[in-house]
Amino acid sequence: MKAKKVLSVLLAVTLTVMLAACGSGQSQEVAPKAEGGAAGSQEEQPGEKKPAGQENASDEDKVITFWNITTGDPDKAIMNYAVDQFNQNSSSGYQTEVVAVQNDNYKEKLIIAMSSGECPDMYTSWTGGPMIEYIESGFAQPLDDLFYKSDLPNRLTEGSIAQGTYNGHIYAIPVNNVSVTGIFYNKEIFDKYNLQVPETIGQLESVCDTLLGNGITPFALANQEKWTGSQYFMYLATRYGGLDAFTSAADGTGSFEDECFIKAGETIKNWVKKGYFPEGVNSLSWNDGMAKQLFYQENAAMMLTGSGMSSVFMNDSEEFFNKLGWFPFPVAEGVDTDPTLMIGTMGDQFISFNCTGEKLEAAFECVTNYSTPEGAQFMVDKGKIPPVKGIEEKVSNPLLKTVIEYANKASNVQLYYDQYLPPAVAQVHLNTMQEVFGLTMEPAEAAKQMQKANQDYLAEK
Amino acid sequence: MKKKTKALASLRKREMLLTGMLFLAPVLIFLAVFVIYPIIESFHISFFKWNGISAGREFIGWKNWKTLFMDGNFRRAAGNNLIIMALSILIQIPLGLAMATFLEFGKKKFKVFKVVWFIPHLMSSVAIGFLFSYALATNGGIISTISKWFGGGNVDLLGSSTLALYAVIGVICWQFSPFYMVYFLAAYTNISEEIYEAARIDGATKGKYFWHIVLPLLKPSLKSAAILSMVGALKYFDLIYVMTGGGPGSSTELMATYMYTLSFSNFNMGYGSCVASGMFLIITLMSLFTMKVLNRIGGDA
Repeated sequence: MKAKKVLSVLLAVTLTVMLAACGSGQSQEVAPKAEGGAAGSQEEQPGEKKPAGQENASDEDKVITFWNITTGDPDKAIMNYAVDQFNQNSSSGYQTEVVAVQNDNYKEKLIIAMSSGECPDMYTSWTGGPMIEYIESGFAQPLDDLFYKSDLPNRLTEGSIAQGTYNGHIYAIPVNNVSVTGIFYNKEIFDKYNLQVPETIGQLESVCDTLLGNGITPFALANQEKWTGSQYFMYLATRYGGLDAFTSAADGTGSFEDECFIKAGETIKNWVKKGYFPEGVNSLSWNDGMAKQLFYQENAAMMLTGSGMSSVFMNDSEEFFNKLGWFPFPVAEGVDTDPTLMIGTMGDQFISFNCTGEKLEAAFECVTNYSTPEGAQFMVDKGKIPPVKGIEEKVSNPLLKTVIEYANKASNVQLYYDQYLPPAVAQVHLNTMQEVFGLTMEPAEAAKQMQKANQDYLAEK
Repeated sequence: MKKKTKALASLRKREMLLTGMLFLAPVLIFLAVFVIYPIIESFHISFFKWNGISAGREFIGWKNWKTLFMDGNFRRAAGNNLIIMALSILIQIPLGLAMATFLEFGKKKFKVFKVVWFIPHLMSSVAIGFLFSYALATNGGIISTISKWFGGGNVDLLGSSTLALYAVIGVICWQFSPFYMVYFLAAYTNISEEIYEAARIDGATKGKYFWHIVLPLLKPSLKSAAILSMVGALKYFDLIYVMTGGGPGSSTELMATYMYTLSFSNFNMGYGSCVASGMFLIITLMSLFTMKVLNRIGGDA
């Protein structure tokens, strides 16, 4: 009896720990090693320690592992282009081996790889907060020497290089896609109801009201992933309060309880109530293509998203893509903020390197293949806007031309909040924003929680 | 003479111990490496401030644990786990028992149901999550369509912070009830045919037979099913992760999804490990407590 009881307790305990074991087990197997190697290394400057690089230096086989998220076309084709060029033509003797990981849990997998000493030699990131974590943990090499020796300074745009720079050093090379967030709209639907491209938020609202009156959902949005809805908030806040309101709130000199953030939240709340977004917006999944479906089936007339989506639309249906137009987020009436400010990223994927010496040189050479004139042209043909100087002359598609025109005019492009902010604060932003979209949290309360999360983070730092 | 026998006896005892140890070694090593060591290491890491990838970790003592005690998000997540636990036990076990009883009483007539009803448990959680996010969709989903037949409007289940948790619990029950059905079917086979015959001869109806004979005999199985269900609910992860990702907001966040977000999205492995360790303590203590209570009620689990 007693033994049986003990056994059943043990059984329960074992079941209990299964998850705990999966959750943190992977990272812990190597923890002692990390600890051993870390003795006294805490004060080391970022960039000086190369935990995985040391192992790689003695590595005999000349294979560069490259992690990225290009699981589908056209991104996959573009990546294959650059890598194949390298594998066939390089004189370095190295070969690049690609590991494509699903976007959804790419970041998580990367963390596990890094913590278990299996960090890939090359990997893509979205820069921002996570990139800073990688750099400070020693998983990204400064690239200044290689960069200025190469042809890249002449090829890449300053804005994109600046985004891969941290503490005055270049750590990540932009490859793919200038993607400013703006509104794609269905020209046929706009023509049918005689609608003009709105220039102010007031005009946008009247466009939405007309669409609603005709049984069409104004915006195709799927907000289960949270960052999708955040785009509306970022733009509204930027239009109401400019960029300084955000940057100063983020560095602690300002506040997330600033009027512009609360007003942006109130506008979203109002739009949700009016029905500008699909019903059950928080249950729709962007990753499962539910926003695209609404847009493609012409049940929704507009979609606010990164201009990088143009290549996806083009890839899915050329015919539908030709129906689309694009305009930047309208400006706010009666507020004196810079109307050219945009939200977006200067290069949708950035490559960082976790290798040294000869291997780093080879890996860097591989990346330069993206921005050769032929490489850039290849991307343009696939509907992308590579972060390359003089790209406007290469692009012939009118929609992409408009995008580039506005992107070039922009006085500043703010990286998405959820990438820019430290991950813990970004998480609070995403969660509170989703609740505002679900009408379960007041914008003022969301702002309060954001401010608290950021203060906590800054205090920890 | 006597001395020698004693020596032989102890030698034999030692040999038995050695053999036992050798046979147990593979399992023990496996458990030590993949279960016991990670648990200890989780507790260890919970005393550090660590982003999960850097070589350096900063020892911060009980700070993570103090945060854990004051953490409203963790409490909310634990509360959600308790709701799942209560509803799992209240729905899955009776439903499983009902299905098993139906099959047992119907004998071969309903054999096909045994297969059909078990199918949900054979599907992967990700597939189930994907399936149900369409089935429960606000626009054109099953519930919305039914509501429209009766003149209601669309029903937003997964996107509502009050209903999402219950919607997912419904799906969890759909997935796990068949497991308990099989569990109780196995328990039924332990009740010998003679008992049923004797009861019938004594004039018991099927209902009486079930309430007064089967149920008391199944008591031990019911208890361990309850413990299984409880532990399962407290460490639950998959369907929530697939269907709501903890949202809207943090309304369906569970202890396990919270731990996952902290460790792998927020670069806070130290606190994530603290949450994992906290979970471990909570689940262990609750299991022990429940078992004690159940045993006091009578019978042997």
